[in-house]
Amino acid sequence: MSILVIGLNHRSAPVEIREKLAFNANNIPTALSFFLQRHPKAEAVILSTCNRVEMYVSTLDDTVQVEDVLSFLAEFHRIELSSFSSYMYHNKNDHAAHHLFFVAASLDSMVLGESQILSQVKEAYTIACMQETTGKVLNLLFQQALNVAKVIHSQTAIGKGKVSISSVAVEFAEKIFQDFTGKIVLVVGAGEMCELLIKHLYEEGARTFIVANRTFERAQELADTYQGQAIKYDLLGEYLGKADIIISSTSAPHYVIHANQVREAIKHRRGNPIFLIDIAVPRDIEPDVGNIDNVYLYNIDDLQSVVNQNIDERTKEIEKCRSIIEEEVEHFMAKIEEMKIEPAITLLRNHFHTIGRDELNRLKPKLRNMNEGDWNQVVYTVERTINKILHHPAKVAKLEAKNGGGYRYVEIIKKLFGIFHHTEHHQR
Amino acid sequence: MLTISHIPFIIVIILYFVSSVWAVGSIKRPFSFNKRVVKWCMMMGFFIHSGFLVFLGLESNSIPITNVYESFISLLWCILFVYINLDYLYKLPSLDAFLLPVITALSIWTLTFDNGNLFITIPLQKFWLIAHIIPIFIGYATFTISFSLSVMYLTQQRQLKHKLFGPLFSKLPSLEGIDTLMWKTISFGFPLLTLGLIFGVFWVKTQNILGEMWYLDYKVILGLATWLIYAALLHMRLVASFHGTKIACLTIAGFCFVLFTFIGTFFMGSKHAFQTVDEQSHTEILNIPMTR
Repeated sequence: MSILVIGLNHRSAPVEIREKLAFNANNIPTALSFFLQRHPKAEAVILSTCNRVEMYVSTLDDTVQVEDVLSFLAEFHRIELSSFSSYMYHNKNDHAAHHLFFVAASLDSMVLGESQILSQVKEAYTIACMQETTGKVLNLLFQQALNVAKVIHSQTAIGKGKVSISSVAVEFAEKIFQDFTGKIVLVVGAGEMCELLIKHLYEEGARTFIVANRTFERAQELADTYQGQAIKYDLLGEYLGKADIIISSTSAPHYVIHANQVREAIKHRRGNPIFLIDIAVPRDIEPDVGNIDNVYLYNIDDLQSVVNQNIDERTKEIEKCRSIIEEEVEHFMAKIEEMKIEPAITLLRNHFHTIGRDELNRLKPKLRNMNEGDWNQVVYTVERTINKILHHPAKVAKLEAKNGGGYRYVEIIKKLFGIFHHTEHHQR
Repeated sequence: MLTISHIPFIIVIILYFVSSVWAVGSIKRPFSFNKRVVKWCMMMGFFIHSGFLVFLGLESNSIPITNVYESFISLLWCILFVYINLDYLYKLPSLDAFLLPVITALSIWTLTFDNGNLFITIPLQKFWLIAHIIPIFIGYATFTISFSLSVMYLTQQRQLKHKLFGPLFSKLPSLEGIDTLMWKTISFGFPLLTLGLIFGVFWVKTQNILGEMWYLDYKVILGLATWLIYAALLHMRLVASFHGTKIACLTIAGFCFVLFTFIGTFFMGSKHAFQTVDEQSHTEILNIPMTR
């Protein structure tokens, strides 16, 4: 019995290679059934996200090897094997389990501790389940991986703290305003970063956006996306006092918003705070603005330092996560070993019961006078004796199997009692 | 001097102390300082506190405000009572870390007032007493809470301004949220204070308790000053719709006046119906028939 993972991720391969091998939700089922046609006895799951493509395969008899999976991928995506094989990594058994737990817990993600990967792993598993390409082993593996990820997220601080500029800015805004409905957001400049922030604020409930940009058309375009209002750039000063949140990211080489402007604006706000975010380099807002009462100014460095701090906090948690994962891999492998020995134990039981039945059949004609009730007692005693004899060896074998000695015990049991699989029997 | 009769109140103080330590601790280390301990200790303390007040009331056969010590205990009870209700209504995160230490400190201070010689020297007539004392006490209690909210506001404001993003930063609610609650507590307490003061004036006028020059009593003057501060606050908020730091600072000033009016006046010579009398004559005063 083996578990194999073959794949590539954002560290091992450039995006040109990743996109060639990527699957989408529509072609994963096709790929899975295609793979199972080739290897009917295998179990398979495909995990494909924007940062990784991985294939998990398990077989009872080790028939599927790394090369088989690689050639399947090449064939399915119709690309040369040599063009991507050097970017692929592969892990087997406990290493494969370790890898999946690591991925699911988001320790292998580009943004450490993000929670999206967990739902992606879940989805990959669900698709495979629907295609009925998972079996005992991969079911156990994926269920445990999802579980481990949840444990890690609740017991460690790996997912704590915001780790993107825009989410940190929104977090700050939430510490100033109770909610964003009815708050006016003034956007100066219409860059990519601005748009990201607007999107974030929109998701949190902000609805009134005013956009000012040097090129009015671009302002109009951005305003339309969020049902906002575009204003002429020259009118900026008039709107300063109306806005609760001001985001600035122009490419101007000088300050766009000056302290005296804000000082004038705050007068009309009667102590209502203004939250200013300056994500431009060079800065758009005069630093003195931050000293005005009820005005809160953050520039890109302030936000970045919080992001860095949060990333550091998360990084500190990796060791804790690693030890949880190692423990869980051990548990998982113990279950797998136990699973391995189960068929041997079933064989052993069948073997003994066959002997018992044969003997009973031999005895029955000799005890013709016995009534039905007594005969049932005899049958019951024989079965009970066999079960009692086998109880202890089965228990010990399972226990030993958990410690990794499963295979040896299977062999010994087979040898001691002369049990062979049907195929072996035929050969003999 | 501490006697056996103080034991219940000392237990209450210990419980309030433990809950404030846990409330403050849970901000920094939420795993070691369980929030449940805060709630349990506070509620337990509050129940013993209530029981103790009932005991004091039964002992003197009146509302437990017959001396400074008792009235302080009653005020503390009111603060807790108002806080528990507010917390139930608004779910105020982390306010306990700001309020419970204040309550604990005031409780410890209370103990020093039990010198046993400042007694109320007027016949305690139920109607006037309830009409004057209870609204004022509940008003003071809400002002204590708005004071804690103001401290919380200024703390959060400082953290935002100076970019201090520690564990406290993430635990405290938004400035706007604190501001709204500050406003709600003040607008709840102010009518009560007004009512209490009006009844007080009626009381002194009709019963001639503080003499002809009652308006020169320190407590009366300071009471009026307190009322004016909160009236100014309300005016600023209602008419000029003022928010933020200035309101928070004024609220703190208002609370200082509350404390000063409530307790400071005793150091200034004004007794405001409390007089240094011996135990026996005090009992005699209390036994004057309630109805007139």
